[in-house]
Amino acid sequence: MTATQAPPVARQGIGDRVAAVLPVLREHARRVDADATFPTAPLDALRHSGLMGLLVPTAHGGLGGGLDDLVRVAAELSGECLSTGMIWAMHCQQVAALAVHAGPELRADLLPRLAAGQVYVASVTSEKVKGGHLLSAHAPLRREGDRVHLERDAPIVTGGSNADGFLITMKDSDTAQPADVSLVYADRAQLTVRHAEGFSWDPMGMRGTHSGPLQLSGVVPESAIVGGAGGFREVALRTFVPVGHIAWASCWLGAARGALRAVLELVRSPAGRKQFDLDSDLLRARLARVRLDLDTTAALIAQVVRDTGLAPDPEAPDVQLRLNGLKVHAAERSFAVVDALVEVVGLRHGYLRDAPLPLERMFRDLRSASLNYANDRLLGANGALVLVDRGVGLAL
Amino acid sequence: MEDNEFDSVLRRHLKNLPEDAELPGDAPLKKYGLDSMQAVELLFDLEDELGVVLPDEMMTGDTFATAESLRRAVGTAVDEPAAEMS
Repeated sequence: MTATQAPPVARQGIGDRVAAVLPVLREHARRVDADATFPTAPLDALRHSGLMGLLVPTAHGGLGGGLDDLVRVAAELSGECLSTGMIWAMHCQQVAALAVHAGPELRADLLPRLAAGQVYVASVTSEKVKGGHLLSAHAPLRREGDRVHLERDAPIVTGGSNADGFLITMKDSDTAQPADVSLVYADRAQLTVRHAEGFSWDPMGMRGTHSGPLQLSGVVPESAIVGGAGGFREVALRTFVPVGHIAWASCWLGAARGALRAVLELVRSPAGRKQFDLDSDLLRARLARVRLDLDTTAALIAQVVRDTGLAPDPEAPDVQLRLNGLKVHAAERSFAVVDALVEVVGLRHGYLRDAPLPLERMFRDLRSASLNYANDRLLGANGALVLVDRGVGLAL
Repeated sequence: MEDNEFDSVLRRHLKNLPEDAELPGDAPLKKYGLDSMQAVELLFDLEDELGVVLPDEMMTGDTFATAESLRRAVGTAVDEPAAEMS
């Protein structure tokens, strides 16, 4: 424990830290959506809260949180503003990869800065030639002594304009195969970051996750390679993919839960009681379905968290099936929950953009969930895995 | 809160309590047929008719144990439940 050396703020509980930032997210959620701007003030609040270092071990000044903590915090943040929740959760995915797989030199330099909230890390994994395929890369690293040159076109980087550092997938060398991928960390200061001309960001939802194309070039030390040369596959299977799916699912679930909380607040309020017939069988059946969707998604998250902690073989078909299935299920059911809640509260509360309930925004935001690393692709992978898991290894 | 209003709402949900029988303040409401599902209906009726909102954490067996415990809970209920973090 490092509690004796830590400043008083570090001893604050995670719940208190979350409670301190939620009002900031709430205050900015509507504006962030309307203007499609990066949530700078909410991110500043998160930097000051210590939560940017949730997954950094206490020995490096972080909160030493685990995946359970990631799930709860991501869900709470996303209940107020899904864009901010996702930005934070994806940062945590990068931190998890760094905390587990970075070498001692990079850990010593970077983890304390992450813990202090000084570095917001964006992920650079997509590439024009391969689209979103995670486990391959085409732009090669070029070595010169113990320095590594990188030059990378990234068609879409969430939060790229505001990031202080980048975790970038690169082909390990000019002569390596595309599957021979290295994960490289670079501070913004080590890179020349060019924004593509003429790009406009005006999406249906998730409008605060200001995403766009970047061109990155620079030189980093060999120690900036995370998980060893060509080691990204292992980083991805052990950490990057599980934490990513858990983080996304938690954000979507949290947004859907936020929607249900808001609806319950309305229908149970004295004014709401005059508008909604709580004795209605239809209303009750709809609410029951909504709650069941939230509970099953939460249960699947908990199981995948257990799988990730315990699985000796992250490639075991049943583990992969649940991990992919979690992303698909959470995306589908969270969106379905908000859709059902719009039906429950009707046009006035559920469809108007300026209604006090944020359902209209959440509906647009959650529509992205199935597309964000496409459900279709994961279902294709799972379909194949089902065929080879003839024993149907359920988590019973 | 009007006591007789509270009583009349409560009595509507106690199907095993004869109309003219006394309802002792400390008698278990379960005895008069109040199960957990009916407690929810009773809660909604109380909120509607008395214009109060009971916070979720009051939705316990203790709150609905007796007429007296329920009367106390309703007496302390506020108009709007406080926002909180779980």
